[in-house]
Amino acid sequence: MVEELDKIEIRQEFPIWKKWLKPITEKDFKPGIYSYIALPKQVDSDFFRTPYGNVVRDIHDKDWKLPENWKEIVLNEMEDTLKKNRAFKLFLDICVRCGVCADKCHYYLGTGDPKNMPVMRAELIRSVYRYYFTTSGKVFKEWAGARPLTEDVIKEWYYYLYQCSLCRRCALFCPYGIDTAEIVWWARRVLSKIGLNQRFMCTSIEASARTGNHLGLYPGGMAGALEMACDEISEITGLDVHAYVNKKGADILFVPPSGDYFATPHWFTLMGYIMLFYELEQRYGLIITFSTYAGEGGNFGTFHSYEAAQLLNSKIYKEAERLGVKWILGGECGHMWRDKHQYINTMNNPPKHPEWEDPVNPITGTRFKHVTAEHGWIHVLEFTADLIAHRKIKIDPSRNDHWKVTYHDPCNLARAVGIIEEPRYILRNVCNYFYEMPEHTIREKTYCCAAGGVYLGDEMMELRIRGCMPRMMALRHVVRKYGVNLLVTPCAIDRAQFPHMIEYWKIPAEVAGVHELVGNALVMTGEKEREVDLRGNPLRREE
Amino acid sequence: MIEYFFGVVLPYAAIIIFIVGTIYGIINWARCAVPLKIPVTAGQQASLPFIRRTIYDRIDNPTSRLGVVVRMFFEVFLMRSLFRNIRFYYDKLELVDTRWMWFFAMAFHYSLLIILIRHLRFFTNPIPDFVKLIDWVDGLMRFWVPSIYITGILALASLAFLWGRRIFLAKERAVSLPSDHFVLFLFAVIFISGTLMRYILKIDLTNVKTLALGLVTFHIPPYEVLHGIHWLFYVHLTAVSILIAYIPFSKLMHFVGFFFSVTRNMPNDNRIRRHINPWDPNPEKPLIVREGLVVDMDYNRYYEMYKDQLDEIAEKGYKVGGGV
Repeated sequence: MVEELDKIEIRQEFPIWKKWLKPITEKDFKPGIYSYIALPKQVDSDFFRTPYGNVVRDIHDKDWKLPENWKEIVLNEMEDTLKKNRAFKLFLDICVRCGVCADKCHYYLGTGDPKNMPVMRAELIRSVYRYYFTTSGKVFKEWAGARPLTEDVIKEWYYYLYQCSLCRRCALFCPYGIDTAEIVWWARRVLSKIGLNQRFMCTSIEASARTGNHLGLYPGGMAGALEMACDEISEITGLDVHAYVNKKGADILFVPPSGDYFATPHWFTLMGYIMLFYELEQRYGLIITFSTYAGEGGNFGTFHSYEAAQLLNSKIYKEAERLGVKWILGGECGHMWRDKHQYINTMNNPPKHPEWEDPVNPITGTRFKHVTAEHGWIHVLEFTADLIAHRKIKIDPSRNDHWKVTYHDPCNLARAVGIIEEPRYILRNVCNYFYEMPEHTIREKTYCCAAGGVYLGDEMMELRIRGCMPRMMALRHVVRKYGVNLLVTPCAIDRAQFPHMIEYWKIPAEVAGVHELVGNALVMTGEKEREVDLRGNPLRREE
Repeated sequence: MIEYFFGVVLPYAAIIIFIVGTIYGIINWARCAVPLKIPVTAGQQASLPFIRRTIYDRIDNPTSRLGVVVRMFFEVFLMRSLFRNIRFYYDKLELVDTRWMWFFAMAFHYSLLIILIRHLRFFTNPIPDFVKLIDWVDGLMRFWVPSIYITGILALASLAFLWGRRIFLAKERAVSLPSDHFVLFLFAVIFISGTLMRYILKIDLTNVKTLALGLVTFHIPPYEVLHGIHWLFYVHLTAVSILIAYIPFSKLMHFVGFFFSVTRNMPNDNRIRRHINPWDPNPEKPLIVREGLVVDMDYNRYYEMYKDQLDEIAEKGYKVGGGV
């Protein structure tokens, strides 16, 4: 699929309001851009069900088989959402259309489609909101930028709401903090009430609700994956490395995004985690366990709706309670950390078992002051940075000398949590060559990888390539300037997306997670002299 | 008698609509629930002591209520988010800050504020000292009689910029609605009529002041006063009245709406203090489980489903690898 797209051309269009108020229809949907609609097996299963999801819908059909009273449902849901969420109502009300957000959206930059400007994406919803819920819209109709709800409008919503990765770069630059992602998220929730859900997302949500992880791995499969990783580490280090699964009475529960159990290059990050945990057990007796029931940190429900997000993240606190851990350690993932930082303890009651406490690093004694028992999650980057700062693990950064590293900030780590310096602190300690990409593409201004918000399917490959363009240009810049050959990112979706993009844009670089480099540099007690890194590349010899 | 309509009835009606509408809007927003704590963090979080945190990080990623007040101060008075603005060029990669929008937005809003304060001299007798002071500072350019106000020039220039970008720049033209142009048109009428009255026509202000004082003290002046005012003043006043009355129905509500903006007015302390969702305050089970849409996937059910595999893990002592 990647090869088929020889040349992408960005054609910008600037229709005036009268023109763009007319919705586009399924005939204008471009292949490579749209996402398929979810099938009954995903949204009408016993484990995840949305209303009217029991119908097979094809995005190319003229008839989308909406329920008979779809209009009533949509308007009622909108009214309900306006009451349920201040952000939704406020952001529909106060936008002044200054246009500052327009060239902040990577999808707009990549596609040139005017309706991909964040302001216009919100305006698609806003125009309907005006027509039914505001005075000026009711009176002046089209002249107030209002339009009635028709089936074509619904189709247009579906098409454009699923071209947003909820990265919130627009919200950063908006003078009023209008968060288009918030509008999109709650509007997707409205669409899900008439049976329109995105397929890729719902496949993962259903799998996660059923098995505990997005990949649908059964407990045996997950344990097998961990065992394989242990074996590989044993080969490299000469140690009999093990990991814990579902262990009651462990000190800490570790929850990575499930991509790490399976995919490449996530796999090497998983090895990095296991090496770190094994070393901590050998030196300090700290027991960190994986869980098959709560094996998924990355929560695709956070792209779908409040309810879906809650369905998936409700398991983790329950598992923490069952295993009796002190606190939870979260893996390297971007949107997972929006969910874990901002949502999880609102959507669920925190555990109350006696062992549960304000998180303290048992090895360094650091009391994590920014986290209490009302929440109880520490990011593994914070944890490792703390270990390194207190010299509790031995690090040999020269083992990463064959890498020249740059760091991509995942949108949600930067803009929803503020974990910006921790990974840089780790990288500066575990490798000797670290370079930053141009300033407007990193830190809180970071560009999305264009696969967040669930665009990992093949059918929207062109959208992914186009949306990833700004990030790839920034990467190419440092590759040419400093000879960077490794793009490090603590995000599972990034790690799934970037290898394809790097291939398409023909950039000589690879993709890795932060803990892969930690694993490389970590000097484990009693290990043999390492010949190769976690990928099997020979290490650069000291002169 | 048409003067009474434009000089008295319309301004009063506009003010009433404005006040009622604004309060209604505020109540409307305040009554909406805030389900999640979703600040947009624009800097390094407060975490470990050895992690570098600059003053900007403290402003843009506050952890406390006080920090939020500071952040909102910078947003409201200095338009900090707009100041961050950068522009993307397809053909270059350097950081390109574009602060024009910020500059003219600041110029526009601040001149508007100072012009409003200066207008207090029509509504007060005697004129307060701070109004006189602002008037004097603003009018330091004394090469014309009467002296030229800096804010007058700034307001006209920034209006020209803000409207010009909606007309001449393609992206901004595409996103503009008639209502956006309508508001700018009203401002143009107000600014231009005001400028003409002061600098060109130099109309007599005694009657204007009598009317203005009468309006705020609820003593409607006699007909001769109203009749004696230049017609351009009524154009000015009518445009102002329409603008004020239009505010509650339009995007201009951003002046109060901003304070409700949840991505800016919440501290980033999610992991310290739990935020309770008002319409889901005690989520023991997920909502859709409570609604009965899906089965409750608790550990017991999970164990039933995958008994063999889980038992196998248990047999190995919950341990994988290590030659077990």
